[in-house]
Amino acid sequence: MAIAPKANSVREDLLRVEGVTKIFDGIVRAVDDVSLTVATGEIFALLGGSGCGKSTLLRMLAGFEAPTKGKIFLAGEDITNLPPYQRPINMMFQSYALFPHLTVWENVAFGLRRDHMPKEQVAERVESMLSLVQLTKYAKRKPHQLSGGQQQRVALARSLAKRPKLLLLDEPLGALDKKLRETTQLELVNIIEEVGVTCVLVTHDQEEAMTMASRIAVMSEGYFLQVGSPDEVYEMPNSRQVADFIGNVNIFDGVVEDDESDHVTVRCTDCLHYVGHGISGNSGMSVGVALRPEKILLTKEKPEGEYNWCEGEVTEIAYFGAYTNYHLKLNSGKVIKAQELNNTRDLSFGLTWGDRAFARWSDLAMVVLTQ
Amino acid sequence: MNKITNYVRSFFNGRHVVIGVPYLWFLMLALVPLLIVLKISVSEMESTSVSSMISWSEGWPAIKLNFASYVFIGSDELYVQTYLSSLKYALLTTIICLAIGYPFAYFMARSPKHLQPMLLMLIMLPFWTSFLLRIYAWKTLLVNNGVINNVLMSLGIINAPLEMMNTPFSLMVGMVYSYLPFMILPLYANLSKLDMRYLEAAADLGTSPFKAFWLITVPLSKAGIIAGSMLVFIPAVGEYVIPELLGGPNTLMIGRVLWDEFFSNNDWPMASAVAVVMILLIMLPMAIYNKYQSEQSELKS
Repeated sequence: MAIAPKANSVREDLLRVEGVTKIFDGIVRAVDDVSLTVATGEIFALLGGSGCGKSTLLRMLAGFEAPTKGKIFLAGEDITNLPPYQRPINMMFQSYALFPHLTVWENVAFGLRRDHMPKEQVAERVESMLSLVQLTKYAKRKPHQLSGGQQQRVALARSLAKRPKLLLLDEPLGALDKKLRETTQLELVNIIEEVGVTCVLVTHDQEEAMTMASRIAVMSEGYFLQVGSPDEVYEMPNSRQVADFIGNVNIFDGVVEDDESDHVTVRCTDCLHYVGHGISGNSGMSVGVALRPEKILLTKEKPEGEYNWCEGEVTEIAYFGAYTNYHLKLNSGKVIKAQELNNTRDLSFGLTWGDRAFARWSDLAMVVLTQ
Repeated sequence: MNKITNYVRSFFNGRHVVIGVPYLWFLMLALVPLLIVLKISVSEMESTSVSSMISWSEGWPAIKLNFASYVFIGSDELYVQTYLSSLKYALLTTIICLAIGYPFAYFMARSPKHLQPMLLMLIMLPFWTSFLLRIYAWKTLLVNNGVINNVLMSLGIINAPLEMMNTPFSLMVGMVYSYLPFMILPLYANLSKLDMRYLEAAADLGTSPFKAFWLITVPLSKAGIIAGSMLVFIPAVGEYVIPELLGGPNTLMIGRVLWDEFFSNNDWPMASAVAVVMILLIMLPMAIYNKYQSEQSELKS
């Protein structure tokens, strides 16, 4: 599945992690034999639930934890044993860790002063950083006098001030409310791209990872389940865990009946799937068929043909304005989710609780999961 | 009538009563005694008690104030010297306590969580024995034929006993020993709350651990340093027992002068005046500091 990142295939690798393992207290494998490369200019996301090891991996990149095994290279140089204050890497901390006793200006200047940069140069750099994040007016304030969004921008300015080779973002938007998050996401990506810094970000929020990153590593229990671009990970998950973690998914268990090079059919309890591409498997094999809710079309009329549809009863309706989510209880008792776009203002689509309805989908809508 | 009962009732609502208790406590046990001391300091001494401040002549009250004690304090070199040396020893005690107490509190706050209650217990353990006994114990350690001198002499390190007792040294040992817990406890409370992410952020921005300590840990523990220093400095200025038992002729402190004025000379106005001046000496820097603090915070907002 390893496909080179789209825009970055010609660029050289900046960060290389080789077989890094971190074991806590002799037993807990927080990170388990992880290898990855990040190209210059790339935004790479580590995505996973809590305790999946993503934060530990990030902390090893920053130098706060030493790997039990494995090596970390930055621009070809082995930095595995370098202390954090000697690495050309800066981090934007979760909930920012802005120094409360220093002003915004002093916070941004903090790293520059440690490098004994001449005064005028420090001032110049701080000014340019503050104007980059549009906080020039707030230079004399203390962090507690700023809103959450402003604090986030100070943290970004502080971590970019030293022009690090690699920027680490730990849940960069985790402390913001939902509305602010969407605008900040784009702002953050714009600034990072303007500066052109390579970036590794950690998040548990799949939307955040998908909108910001050029490549995503889905992590679980210390190892990578899948690494790929956002659309690859979403449309071509390689396992049930990935399909389940990224977005909503219906998974049908079934057995491969027909295994051809250009299509397969999978027999499930509620329906017969006709998948319009070949898989690496053979007939008689037990597989899961993953089908995203937005790829399902609900109708009242029975579809034609014998495959790629099923029948059920509407048990839940959740109206979201732009779309509506339905729960359909199939004859076997299995409940599937379907998402319908509300693309007209017609309110009389007509499906209501308890109605019989048919769900249908195209032969390129699903993914066969052999793992 | 109804109006009045309503007013009374609203005044005695829960909130007022709750806040009233500490106010009443402060009023009765701090402010009133202080005013009495102030009053005595400007009265005149009569054989066994002080004169009353208000005298009645031809049906009119006349207030009689006597500032002789204050004038005397200001003019007599001995008092000025004693105040200065009190401040000096109190300041020295505070500085030494801070120098010893800060690393102490720092490592306590950094030690494994399950050990911390025990370490805290050890800090407070001395309070379980009498303060006087502990000071006397120091006496037996420090005198010429005491434990320390005997051990050093039997080991052949020294030939003649070291003069430690009744010197500034013995005074400082006693003062630092007694006041150290009051420095450690507020510092520990402050340092144990320090967010370690600030130190990580500092390291991330290129600060070595040693530098980060001075740039982050110390400034962020300012409140603890101030609280601990106040808790040590203020009582140390007026300390009586330790200079009396461990101090010598060279270590005059105001507490002893106060005692002498009151119990030996039986001069209540003088003793009160000495106390009032001492309170002013302590309160003035505090008031200035407080004003500075509030002005700073006003500037910020």
